[in-house]
Amino acid sequence: MTQDETLGAMLARRGFGRRGLLKFAIAMTSSLALPPSVAPVMAANLAKAKRRSVIWLSFQECTGCLETLLRSSSPTIDALIFDFISLDYQESLMAAAGAAAEQTLREAMAANKGEYLLAIDGSIPVKDGGVYSLTGGRSNLSMLEDVAAEAKAVLAIGTCAAYGGIPKAYPNPTGAVGVEDLVSNKPIVNIPGCPPVPEVLSGVLVHFISFGRLPELDDRKRPLAYFGTTIHDQCYRRPFYDQGKFAKSFDDEGARQGWCLFELGCKGPVTHNACASLKWNGGTSFPIEAGHGCIGCSEPDFWDAGGFYTSLAGGSATGWKNAGIAAAVGLAGGAAAALSTRIKTPLEDAPASPPEKTPPGKSPPGKSPPGKSPPGKSP
Amino acid sequence: MTDFSFLADDALVDALIMEIAGLLRRLIEHGETGAIDVLGLPLSPSCVASLEQRLGHAEVSARLDAAGVSEIHETGFPGVWWTRHSNEQGRLIAMLIEVAFVPEILKANIADVIRGAERLPALTNVALQARGNDVALQARGRRAAA
Repeated sequence: MTQDETLGAMLARRGFGRRGLLKFAIAMTSSLALPPSVAPVMAANLAKAKRRSVIWLSFQECTGCLETLLRSSSPTIDALIFDFISLDYQESLMAAAGAAAEQTLREAMAANKGEYLLAIDGSIPVKDGGVYSLTGGRSNLSMLEDVAAEAKAVLAIGTCAAYGGIPKAYPNPTGAVGVEDLVSNKPIVNIPGCPPVPEVLSGVLVHFISFGRLPELDDRKRPLAYFGTTIHDQCYRRPFYDQGKFAKSFDDEGARQGWCLFELGCKGPVTHNACASLKWNGGTSFPIEAGHGCIGCSEPDFWDAGGFYTSLAGGSATGWKNAGIAAAVGLAGGAAAALSTRIKTPLEDAPASPPEKTPPGKSPPGKSPPGKSPPGKSP
Repeated sequence: MTDFSFLADDALVDALIMEIAGLLRRLIEHGETGAIDVLGLPLSPSCVASLEQRLGHAEVSARLDAAGVSEIHETGFPGVWWTRHSNEQGRLIAMLIEVAFVPEILKANIADVIRGAERLPALTNVALQARGNDVALQARGRRAAA
């Protein structure tokens, strides 16, 4: 497609007519919690919109965020929105490498000065001058300062870019921080999650493309429409919580009946995200629907916020003591051992809580410390 | 413990019915259309079913195939439409109660109408014969060249 082609023309060329675009706008206004009456305006604006330049920088990350956003099972309009942005620089995807890639970055910045969106995935190491992550000999810190200075807005994609994420986890050897700790003079949208829900990014992009501004954000700079409620508030197992029906282990009768996973460590009551409503893999399901509690991956410092199987009320799930010890021994080996222990351990033989991952004296923001009940009703 | 949740459902349904009545008054008095985003409300499936059942189903139904299937029907109250939009995978992406003489998505767009009007004369016998002659002439030319 050409730089001048409108989104309406591009969609028409790919077989989506005006009604398809209006329907997409209706779904998007619902998703963004906008009044339904805005949909025809959004559709009209989208049809006229031109491509937006996006520069995407990857810092201390695992590429999971990019993977999840690229995986699309069919050519939906949501997916085509990603085609519609002009991704002018992305190290993992672009053909150019080395000096040619750096030249591409400089050209994209110059051609779209003040107008491009800057997308970041990964945290930024600042310890020792930021030497722990370099691209072409330049530190992530230096690149961020340089590229953010001319951006229209910055999208921090994934929990690492938003809050530091796993690289920031105790003891944080690289001094990792999130984008908002370093960029203060540009509008920032945090789209946390490990990985983030792809539809949230498309919602933010659609809002920006159709109205020329970012959607309403909460106090953590997250799009309010997607992060305004907790997983718990939208969870289909919520009625069991209200009735006091809790699974006590992953294979007891309560688990088989689909009861609430609160006592098995579910962090849904303190986790703001859209997993329970938008779900994953084209709306197939989300972790709680697959029988595992929410691990709170879209909240700051989630990795240090206590064991994944420690309930927010401070109790621990039965059958997980050995798994917890295994996990503390080593990350990779521990994960495998935790899985095998889960299968092997007789549930009635393991009463105690797994070890806390939170470093001494550290109380992560937004989390209920052990012994305190979560917001709302106590079990 | 007695479960009183059905009372909350009934109250929500009553509130929505009064909101629809207000939107209908605006349509009648000012010609303004309106819509309620059903999926955006904290309604239980039973509450949605109750509301849909109370509003009923009249004689007009429409099915749209545009980026997935959409099903639209007029309720038992003229001007009140129940619309369900699914995406290409059949997943429900929007459910609206629209208050309008005709839902916006069913109306033909003026630009599309103009393009259609330009294409339509090509269906006349004269045009079809002319095109047939062109095709025959081209085929004859290809045979001659061979």
